[in-house]
This record gives sequence, structure tokens and C-alpha cells, in this order.
Amino acid sequence: MKDLKGINYEEYFASGHRACAGCGEALVLRHIMKAAGPKTIVAQATGCMEVVSTPYPQSAWRVPWVHGAFENAAAIASGIDAGLKAQGKREKVNLIAMGGDGASFDIGFGALSGALERGHKFTYIATDNEAYMNCLALDSLIMTKDGLKRIIDIGVGDMVYAFSQKNHKLVLKKCTGIFDNGKKRIFEINTDSQTIKATGNHPFLVLERNGRGKQSELVWKTVEELRAGDEVVVLKQGLEGKSHIFPKIQLSKKGDYKVNRIREVTIPKKSSKDLMKLLGLYVGDGWVRVEKAEIGFSVPKGNRARVPVKQLIRRVFSVDATRENENEVYLGSINAAKFVESLGFGKGAKNKVVPEWVFTLPIEEKKAFIEGLLLSDGYKIGNSYRYVSASKELLQTLRLLLQTMNVRVGKIHQQTKAKGTKVVYRALKKASTYGYICFSLKKGTNSKYRSQNKYRDFLYGNKNFEMKKIRSIERKRLEPTLDLRVEGEHNFIANGFVVHNTGVQRSGATFPYASTTTSPAGKKIPGKQEPKKPLPYIIASHGIKYVASMSPANLLDLKTKVQKALAIPHASFLHAYCVCPVGWHCKSDDTIELSKLAIQTRVFPLYELENGVVKINQKVEKPKPVLEYLQLQGRFKHLGEEEVQKIQDYVDARYKFLLDMDGKKAFDVLF
Amino acid sequence: MKSVVEASEAVALAVKLARVKVCPMYPITPSTHIPERIADYIFDGEMDAEMIHVESEHSAASALIGSILSGARSFTATSSNGFALMYEILPILSGMRLPAVMAVANRTLAAPINIWNDHSDAVSARDQGWIQLYAESSQECVDTMIQCYKIAEDKKVSLPAMMCLDGFTLTHVFENVDVPEQAQVDKFLPAFTREDTLDVNNPKTFGPIGFPDSFMGFKKQQQDAMTAALDVIKKANSYYKKQIGRGYGDGLVELTDMGDAEYAILGMGTLCGTAKAKAEELRAKGKKVGVIRLRSFRPFPVKELQAAVKNLKGLAVLDRHISLGSNGPLFTEISAITPELKLFGYIAGLGGKDITLKHIESVFTDLEKGKQSREWLM
Repeated sequence: MKDLKGINYEEYFASGHRACAGCGEALVLRHIMKAAGPKTIVAQATGCMEVVSTPYPQSAWRVPWVHGAFENAAAIASGIDAGLKAQGKREKVNLIAMGGDGASFDIGFGALSGALERGHKFTYIATDNEAYMNCLALDSLIMTKDGLKRIIDIGVGDMVYAFSQKNHKLVLKKCTGIFDNGKKRIFEINTDSQTIKATGNHPFLVLERNGRGKQSELVWKTVEELRAGDEVVVLKQGLEGKSHIFPKIQLSKKGDYKVNRIREVTIPKKSSKDLMKLLGLYVGDGWVRVEKAEIGFSVPKGNRARVPVKQLIRRVFSVDATRENENEVYLGSINAAKFVESLGFGKGAKNKVVPEWVFTLPIEEKKAFIEGLLLSDGYKIGNSYRYVSASKELLQTLRLLLQTMNVRVGKIHQQTKAKGTKVVYRALKKASTYGYICFSLKKGTNSKYRSQNKYRDFLYGNKNFEMKKIRSIERKRLEPTLDLRVEGEHNFIANGFVVHNTGVQRSGATFPYASTTTSPAGKKIPGKQEPKKPLPYIIASHGIKYVASMSPANLLDLKTKVQKALAIPHASFLHAYCVCPVGWHCKSDDTIELSKLAIQTRVFPLYELENGVVKINQKVEKPKPVLEYLQLQGRFKHLGEEEVQKIQDYVDARYKFLLDMDGKKAFDVLF
Repeated sequence: MKSVVEASEAVALAVKLARVKVCPMYPITPSTHIPERIADYIFDGEMDAEMIHVESEHSAASALIGSILSGARSFTATSSNGFALMYEILPILSGMRLPAVMAVANRTLAAPINIWNDHSDAVSARDQGWIQLYAESSQECVDTMIQCYKIAEDKKVSLPAMMCLDGFTLTHVFENVDVPEQAQVDKFLPAFTREDTLDVNNPKTFGPIGFPDSFMGFKKQQQDAMTAALDVIKKANSYYKKQIGRGYGDGLVELTDMGDAEYAILGMGTLCGTAKAKAEELRAKGKKVGVIRLRSFRPFPVKELQAAVKNLKGLAVLDRHISLGSNGPLFTEISAITPELKLFGYIAGLGGKDITLKHIESVFTDLEKGKQSREWLM
């Protein structure tokens, strides 16, 4: 099956691989494979893609795939080509060899050049991410200045929360390093409220009681030394937050395409108690349909939440609910719908989450949010509250949120209820599995007995931290792990640890002035001093019929080029532009934006050399300044005006060189 | 069919007889005559195979990964520094359990640059999971080459194998060789079949990343396969003897005059020929001396060696390689399995230095006297 533009619906590079969020290389690979189709053999060099796609015994490859070493993908492909030929099986099979920077530009260049010269029938694809990258990734949530972040999304320089050992306060510290710890035995440490996964040698702050009359103290103990009953320092309440200022969204105006009338509503500029309460209700009972221009709440007549929903809609959006019936209340407004959708609470009952910005709110707004939640899907039993949800991620993030709010919070429980059972005032239409979480407000302590309280909780009186007894320590399976280095304080606040592992060393393809771990932005030398190796021209000089550059910013062009290359009876070469958010220190959702900018700024022009004739596929008449491209990436943030100008000149010169060849036969073709 | 050929050509003939389909080759002295002869066969249409003129030995070994996974029986040859350049790929081929076969025309490693024979190239790769068989004559080269495929492709083994032949001493020396008939070889060595191939109708992933929880398991499997190879090598030797009429000891160790021997020399490759000649001479004088030729260095036949030296009063081990800072590797390994035995280790024949009858005589004299006069035969 193919879509209208001819892009294959089938996936041959399957999802579920472990590439980082926003990985340009994984995206390129996926589309290369879509274009190449199932009758394709892939030989890949060691690198990110091999690591993330084939952790034994799993594989993301739905075509035959082989990996040997760092620099020999082209040589392995030679063997495959010759082997199939010798057995008369070469027909109707595509052969792709793929390598990153090292494999293509540097250590593997000899093997590549040799295979091209021998005229094997194969397509070599250089996935160029401008350094020797290497990463695996997954989830694990860390408290940062900007809210809760997955550990993989944390970059050097981000501000993360830490426990100050001097004054026992919650402090913001700069993250100065991220380390791969490899695959380690994981232990799960449970207190009444927290669950933390860590490796055996991971240190925790533990109270050492030195006996009567002596000062107790906090010491670091590794998980292996921890015992149930030990008291560890845990986060009780986050820093006093601030109301969240919402980023501007594109609102609809009267006169826009298909917009004839518009309901005037107030779109909140920042968070408030009312808004948060309404959002709490929304998470439990609401949905948003931008295409229908409405927000809906499932609050039947007589439900305790019906009146508050209507009140809150009026207070937040300055209009009344526009429609209501027996079971639902609606606000019909395209802009209100767009706004709520932009907040990141997720869609559908099973996919709701607490977005990271909620973690940065003041305690009152957080409480209002919880109130809203409880009004929808929660209830009170004695002194404790229970919140029910079908979304596991919502419960996990909610639990972490509650941990920052000075309440006692329990584990996430799961239960399956039969059809017809009443869950929070409503009968189930079908048998369902639900999770729930319980929490209760803390009773105050009598300040008269300070020393007793201090005995119970060494951090008595501390606003942000408290001591908690470890209930259990469980040995879990092996998991890849990651650690952060935090400036000054060697700790950070996390609920768990999973995989990561970075490289980012300079390659022959590294962009000039980029900072890498082996060409750092130093005091004397500002990053890489050399230009990019012009590999496509070097390859073209081998006299092969087809050489082209391609980018995920133009998938149709990419598809056409892959198919053209594979149809060549000898060797062909493709140069693929691959954004690496980890190595480039850019946002993972900027991958496509950067890919587009690379073309628009002429940094990475799309062109092809067919039979030696140069053709620029996407001419850029009015280029954007290179600065627009550079400033989205941390690897260039050290540059001053002078260097930016040098880069601009470099890019201009390269483009001019290409432009001068456009339409001309610039390379001899030998095959 | 008897013909007078040098061992290089004997190897090439064996490759042709084994119906090898892909030969990625990069020339280096003294292995060069092997790809030259194979090229003759392919370019004259006598051999139906693809020759890949790779740009380096590293790519030769890498191409083997691709060609074997495509389902083609494959071969390469190299020596010395070329072998060293391949080194990275050696454990990859064995780790991926690919039955590659390679002829190593043994030559020392530079520096000083030196094109002549010793075993430092192959022996230094002893830990990389390849079966290593050492041949003594051109005749044995033909026979061992063919057996290598039989052994490597055995399902119990599925490991790469190298046949080591002494550079120049064998590669460039013409001898009378009885080349088996194609029909005989076809019967001994059936066509190469493999279930796990790069097949677009049955996609499989080869060479994935192995995390610490699985890695050791793979290595254990390789070790088990090596142990299984001991038996497979023996069987290949005896089956070959039955089919084609020649065998070399039990396939692992070849014993000469060892029945009642009191003193013996142990070594690998052509130096054993010299040792045998001297032993024969000394036997005529009534001395009870013998020669143990180790044919299979990897896997290392512990039991067979222990049995062979059981009644000896003294054993001298001649290493054509030195593990600098330690001893000759063969000596070290033999000492580990014969704690009771009086053992002398000699470093001999490095970088093409001749091992003469005189040298051998002095070793036997040392053994008889019970005192080692020197460690380096130079």
C-alpha cells in the first residue's frame, strides 16, 4: 500500500527501536527503507543505528541485515554482491551499505572507495550527522527547572534540582555531564511514597544515627549497603513555583480559511487556580476536538462536577458553556479548543499525562489541579483520597507531582473490574483495567516537641525534604543505566534511571566551528577548525553514475533518489543529512525544522550528479542567514559574530561552487 | 593425479576442488602465489567463482562476512602484516560463527620489516576463535585445505578455520603432490548449504549488539564449539584417510617414533621435518628419541598431548614465535598441561632464521644431559 505521493505504508525499519527522540538518522533510515522496499539487503557499519536497532535478541529490521565492524560496511556489501552473483541470485535484490560519519568519511573511506572502484552493484548511504555519534535512549524522569523531564532530554547546562548538603535545602544546579553506565543490575527502592530505580553502586543520602546524645548525620550509602528500615532523604515539596506563562499559539481569526464567524473567548495568558481546576476536571472527564472546534466535559446532570465545570468555563474563558445535554457540557470555540490541546495533557483516557510545566506551578495552583482531578475521577475514603485512571503514565506523573506537594502518596495499584461495576459513581460499560493511586494530607506536628519530631524526622522543619524509611529493596533485572553529573552537589532528583550513552567526537564531516568532545569550544580554539570533507565530490570522482544528497526535509526527493540509486547497475552513493539532537544540542522537536533550515540557508543543498551532470534539485534563490540555522544548536552557541560571518562565507562559497556546476557535466563517468 | 607444485599452488588447487564461490584477496608476500594461481583458474574459466580484488586485507576479511552470509563458500589468503590488518575482523567472523577458511602463509611481523617465515602472525591471533591447523608439507596443504571446509562447516563447529603454512619454506617450494580427483573431493565435501543467509524472503538480523547479559553466553558457545571441534578434526582426518587415502596422525597431533621414546621435540609446521630427519639419524644410533608435531594449535588437544608425553623423560618445545616479555606460547601452554615433565623451551627460526639439523641435534643433546644449554637457537 502506498499513499497518494507514493510513499510506502509498510515499515521495514520497525518502530520500537531505541533511537533518541528526534533522531534524524532513524527518520532517514525509515524512509530509505520505505523507498527501497522488502527485497533489500542492508549492511550497516557500527554506530548509533546498529546499536539502537539490534539489541540482541531484538531487531527493528524487517529485511535481511548484517553488521560487522566500524569501517567495513562497503566491504561486507562487496562480499554479498559477489556471493549472490556467484550463486546466480543477484537479480531483483537491492543491496544497501550504510554508515555514519566514521564509516563513510574517515576510517571506512578506504573500504568505500575500494568497493566503488570495483563497481559492485550496491548503494552506499552515508548518514551524515557531523560527528561520531553513538546513543541509546529511554525514559526516566528528572526534576528540572523547567519541570519534569525525561533523563534523555536533559542536556549539559540544564538546571536540575539537587539537595544541598550544606543547608539541606532544595537548590537548582547546573548539569555538567551525562554518563553512560552500561547495563547494570537494577534495584527498586520503595518507601511509602516513592519508588526509585537505581544501580547497586548508586549512592543515596541516608541518616546515620550515632546514638543517644550524639549528633546524627547524613551519609552517602550505596544501594548495596542500604537495608529496609534505613531512612533516606526524599523530596517532600518542590520549590515555590510560579504561574506558568503559556507560549503563544496560532489563533484562528474571522476570515481565515473556512472561518466565517468566531466566538470571542479569553485565552488565558498564564496559569491560574481556576484554570488548573478546570484542567483537572478536563483530565478526568474532558476531551478536545479541534476539528469540531469544541471542548467537551462528560458530566451528567446531577453529577457533583457539573456545576463547577460550568462556573469554571465562565471564569476562565469569559463565556458560558455553549451547549449542554443530559450527559455533557460543551464549550464551542476553536481558539479555546486549540489552547487546551496545546497544553500537553494528551488525548484519550488512556494517554493522558501531567505535562512538565505543571510541576513548576505554585502549590495553590497544583492543589487546584488536584481538586479538579478529584472532582472528576477521585473520591475520599476516611482521610485519604483515591484517584482512578486508565492512563498509567498519568498516574506515574501524578504520583511524582504529589511527591512535590507535601502529601503522603502511595503506590500505583491496578485492578480489573467486571462490566457493570460502579467505579467513581459510574457503571462500567465493559470490563476494564484501571489503575488508582491513594494519597492523604499530612497531619501537622506539635511544635512543642521539637526534639521528638526531629528524632522522627531528621529533616524536621525542612520545607522541601524529609526522611523516609525504606520499606523494601528489590533486585530487578539488568537495565542500561545513565547518570548525571551535577555541579557542586553530586546529586539530583530522579525517580528512575535508564539508558543513555553518548559519543559526539569530531569527524571529517563535522561542520566548521562546531563544538564536539574532541574539538571543543575552547578558550583558544573555538571548535572544529577545518571544513567538511567534500565526500560526495570525492565519491563522484570514482566515475560512478549516480551521487545525490538527500534530507528528511524533503521525503519525496529522498524517495526518488533512493529508487534512482538502487536502479543503477553499478555502485551509487547517497549523502543523507541527519540531525542528531543529542550531539548537536538542539531540541528533539526541531529535527525537521533544522533539516528545512539547512536547505533554506544553503548549508545542505539538495542536488544530484547523474551521469556526471550536476543538478540542484531545490534551488534556494533567497537564502536565510546561516545564523538562523546555527542558533538552534548548542554546538554553535560559543560563536561570536566573526565566526558566524566566516561560516556564512564558507556556506556561500560552497553553494557558489555547486551553482557554477549546475546543469554541467562536472565529473567523468567510468562505469 | 601426481604433479610437482609449490604449496601455494597446492592450496589454490584445493580451493578449486572445494568449489569455493567467492575469493576476496589482497596480495602480500609470501601468500601472493595463492591469489595469483586462483586468478589464473577464474580468468581462464577453470573455476566458477567471483574474485573480489579488495583494497586491503581488512576488506578481504570483511567481504567474507558478506559472501558467507549470502550463502557462498569463501576463501582468502594472507600473511604477516596483512594478517595483522585483518585482526579486527577475525573475532567478528568467529563471533558470528561464519565458517570462513583462510590460508595463512606464515611470515613474521615487522619491525624490522622482514618477509620470511615464523609463526608470529597466526600464533598471536590464537585467542580470536579461529581453528588453526599447521601443515608440514605441500601434500598436507592440499589435504588440510579441503578438510578445513569440512571442519569449519560442521554444524557442531561452525567456526572459521585457518590453515597455516610456513612462508617460503612451503609456499615457494616445489614438491611432488598427489592431488585428489574432483569426484573424490565432492564426495568428501558436499556443497555448502546454510540455513542462515541474507535472504529477502526470510529476513534475519546478523551481527546485533550483545549487552553484558548475553555476551558471555555467546563466548561460552564459541568455547563449546571449539571443544567439539577436537573430535570433528579427528573425524575429518580419519574420513579423509578412508576416502582419499591420507591421514596425519589422529588429525590433532602427529607422532613420529614416539612408541618407546624417552626424549622428544615438539613443534609445529616444517621445522618438524628437520626434527624428524635428525630423530631418524639418532634412532639409527640407538637413541630413543621422537617427534611430536602439533597439527591443531586451536583447539588445543590437551588429552592427546598429555598421552603423547606420558612416558617421556624430557621434552623440548620449539616455538617459532615469542610472546615478548614471556616465553614461546607453545612452551607456556605445554608447561601448563605437563606439570611433572622435564621441559625445555626454545625460541627458534624467527624471521626466517634457518632451523638446522645442528640446532635439532643440540636440543636432543640438552634433553639427554638434562640441562638446557641455551634458549635461543640462533
